[in-house]
Amino acid sequence: MLSFLLWLPVIGASIIGFMPGKAESGQLRQITTVFAVVTFAWTIWLLTQFDITHSGWQFAEYLPWIKPIGLSYSLAVDGLSLPLLVLNALLTIIAIYSIGENIERPRLYYSLLLLINAGITGALVAQNLLLFVIFYEIELIPFYLMIAIWGGEKRNYAAIKFLLYTAVSGLLVLAAFLGIGFLNGVVSFDYDTISTQGLSLTTQLVLLSVLLVGFGIKVPLVPLHTWLPDAYTEASPAVTILLGGILAKLGTYGLIRFGLQLFPETWSIVAPGLAIIGTISVLYGALSAIAQKDIKRMVAYSSIGHMGYILVAVAAGTQLSILGAVAQMIGHGLILALLFHLVGIVERKVGTRDLDVLNGLMNPIRGLPLTSGLLIMAGMASAGIPGLVGFVAEFIIFQGSFSAFPIPTLLCIIASGLTAVYFIILLNRTCFGKLDNNLAYYPTVSRSESLPAFVLTIIILLLGIQPNWLLRWTEPTTNQLAVDVYHTEQVAINISN
Amino acid sequence: MDFSSTVASQLHAGAILPEGIVIVTIMAVLIGDLIFGRSSSRWLPYLAMFGLFNTLVALFFQWSNPNAIAFLGSFNGDNLSIVFRGIVALSALVTILMSIHYIQQSGTSLAEFIAIMLTAVLGGMFLCGANELTMVFISLEMLSISSYLMTGYMKRDPRSNEAALKYLLIGAASSAIFLYGMSLLYGLSAGETNLNIIAAKITAINGVQSLGLAISLVFIIAGISFKISAVPFHQWTPDVYEGSPTPVVAFLSVGSKAAGFALAIRLLTTAFGSLTEQWHFIFTALAILSMVLGNVVALAQTSIKRMLAYSSIAQAGFVMIGLIAGTDNGYSSMIFYLFIYLFMNLGAFSCIILFSLRTGTDQISEYAGLYQKDPLLTLCLSICLLSLGGIPPMAGFFGKIYLFWAGWQAGLYGLVLLGLITSVISIYYYIRVVKMMVVKEPQEMSESVKNYPKINWKLPGMRPLQAGIVASAIITSLAGILSNPLFTLSANSVATTPILQSTVITQEIPQNIIHVSSIEDSKSEVN
Repeated sequence: MLSFLLWLPVIGASIIGFMPGKAESGQLRQITTVFAVVTFAWTIWLLTQFDITHSGWQFAEYLPWIKPIGLSYSLAVDGLSLPLLVLNALLTIIAIYSIGENIERPRLYYSLLLLINAGITGALVAQNLLLFVIFYEIELIPFYLMIAIWGGEKRNYAAIKFLLYTAVSGLLVLAAFLGIGFLNGVVSFDYDTISTQGLSLTTQLVLLSVLLVGFGIKVPLVPLHTWLPDAYTEASPAVTILLGGILAKLGTYGLIRFGLQLFPETWSIVAPGLAIIGTISVLYGALSAIAQKDIKRMVAYSSIGHMGYILVAVAAGTQLSILGAVAQMIGHGLILALLFHLVGIVERKVGTRDLDVLNGLMNPIRGLPLTSGLLIMAGMASAGIPGLVGFVAEFIIFQGSFSAFPIPTLLCIIASGLTAVYFIILLNRTCFGKLDNNLAYYPTVSRSESLPAFVLTIIILLLGIQPNWLLRWTEPTTNQLAVDVYHTEQVAINISN
Repeated sequence: MDFSSTVASQLHAGAILPEGIVIVTIMAVLIGDLIFGRSSSRWLPYLAMFGLFNTLVALFFQWSNPNAIAFLGSFNGDNLSIVFRGIVALSALVTILMSIHYIQQSGTSLAEFIAIMLTAVLGGMFLCGANELTMVFISLEMLSISSYLMTGYMKRDPRSNEAALKYLLIGAASSAIFLYGMSLLYGLSAGETNLNIIAAKITAINGVQSLGLAISLVFIIAGISFKISAVPFHQWTPDVYEGSPTPVVAFLSVGSKAAGFALAIRLLTTAFGSLTEQWHFIFTALAILSMVLGNVVALAQTSIKRMLAYSSIAQAGFVMIGLIAGTDNGYSSMIFYLFIYLFMNLGAFSCIILFSLRTGTDQISEYAGLYQKDPLLTLCLSICLLSLGGIPPMAGFFGKIYLFWAGWQAGLYGLVLLGLITSVISIYYYIRVVKMMVVKEPQEMSESVKNYPKINWKLPGMRPLQAGIVASAIITSLAGILSNPLFTLSANSVATTPILQSTVITQEIPQNIIHVSSIEDSKSEVN
């Protein structure tokens, strides 16, 4: 069942890529939509079949592949990866519609889009460490090409920077996995046979820190984040939605899955440091966003901040905080996608992203009233206004982390106030004020352009009002996870006593 | 007196049947050229390919030959040699595919070229199984001298002449050093030329380590690393690769290199079994230098042939990790990587040949905007280059993973980490070419791409080139995912090769001795 999810987009990509004859951009878009929608429907069906009382792996598939290096084709999902799968499928559809209909080189564009979808699905369902690395690195080239071909002015610089950072991230993860696999003694990288319990504390610390840096580049954590503003700003809106909405989540997913879950004993040692780095990320993201003059850059920095919350929550490692982390991953994915989609519309229609030039878009006749209305909604969701999904996630995180790290949590709460500050700046400069009468002849926003934003807004609103629809899939898994961590910590303490 | 027949039965001449086929093919090609003249070039390459194909089939039936040691111990047809001979023959087969049009267009004789190429193959194949000092040197020279000739084959092109001269001078010098090392070995072992006997005699006469042995080791490594272009002995590579005809470069980068690695494994594990630590140390240094210099200098190249020259130096550094690991997994990962390397590199070179046939240049900047004019070439070259960079799910990724995994298992953490870091560097320069071809806008197209001729596959010799490109691109993209047969093959060839298994055992013996002696100690205490 998971194989279908994984291979369907690949089949779609090859059909689009190798389809004979000259294909119209619109026609290719339709084919891509069909594949993306079927994939999405399949994930929804998986969601209905998912047993939410069960905390372990479900829908497992296993095929031996290359025995000598311990690589097997082994897939499964649990409550941690399933919501992200849904997010991935949803954002792929959104990404199809957040770029203009007539793009250059549509064939390559749409096949890369589907390949990215397949790669992320693969990384989320892989139950073998090497298989995970394969899918993790597969993302490299499609994203590079996506940024380098359909990007802004400085796209070459941004794309190469992204490529090198991500390649380094991939090799660190690979190095750590080779270390885990070899020290484990058995020639197998299957997730279930891997355990770090027999390793000495120092070895575990070394492996864990390599993993943290590897995933930290992708998240990104503050000292490793410098690729992000360039890549997010230079990429087209659709690519940014995928980059920030789901690719960054692979980093946090990796932290929970391979950091917290594989190193439960060592986690408590690195956790305080991680909480501090997370808090710095949150503050840095918020303060840098306030200083920006470009709305896309502003949203990019806000993304650094919001990913910081996840780190604090994962570091705390309580039942509630891990649940909050997963909720924040989904919430942030949805909100970021909405924001970037709207910013993309504004840029396409108005022709600028500069805060000093934009003005008065709320004007009901000559402005972009609908877009700016939704933008206000998205800004509020991002800033953590109750009733929207951002608040739910942040609140669970704060409540869950407070017992473990009170001061970082308090600082995060302050930073969430700063988030409101820069979103108010953004909304004030773009939506309110007066239109410039000489320049304001904007094209109308078509229905297919605003539809994705509507869908996202409704989901954000629904999950904000009824958060249980978001949390019920994850709760048993995260509870089990936190119990495991707590349990092994207790054991470690008992042994040392 | 049935003397002659016993000798004949001891010779086991069947072990060199594959080489016999190559010899017959050379003869057929040469004589065909003499009789039919230029008109023969229409069918001669196919005859040569047919001969090489039969060689591969013959190699297949030689698998696990019980009479592997042939010619009174001077040739060893074990599975290790079969695998390497297969790589050499296969690389020549693909090289001939891509050289037909290239050589014909240059106005030189195709048959002579193919004959020299096949002679090089013959030398390379004998080198893979040579088990005796004289035999090693003769086959090495056979490979080298044919390579010099091929390098200077475009005799009206000053660059080709310069490359040949450079290659000849350095090659002959390194052969002389190699020969000096071997003569020392002959003297140290009191007149033995057989590699297996040398190992036993040397330790018996000189003890485990002697200065003479060390000097001989260093001289021999100088000769070997010339063939595999490991870093201090690599200087010929960039110049020769740039100057020589591209098909020759393709063969040198795969066939000649594979033969060099086969020689390294055989010579170092048998004759220098007692000096394992020392040659591991030297090769570690060579691997570090090759990976760093090869990958870093490749960043600054403007000609794609030169870039691939440095890349092949770096790739040799990666392969050396397997050699240094010295375990079953290490050797088999080398074989696996060389197999995959064959298709990646030959595919990349075929694309370069095709591009330079159509535009007459091989500057990287001239590839700008190629995707519009020639999507097939762009796709195949991108696949091969990304595979060389080790991007999943191409074959090169699996090859590198296996090498690094074997290295990690053998405890070579530093080397593996360096390999990982330099692979990131390599991604940068491989992707630079992909960027030129794919990312550039139509208005950024280079002059040669603007004037790109209409693609015509009907020209003589173009179909084989196309077949070569498409086949290597397909194999490069699928050989990783479907790599199980290849994994089994390389693992089997190592597991069933007596010389490698005996080195593994000799490494374990000391532990057993300690174990036994400690038991005896405890017994004597009891008594």
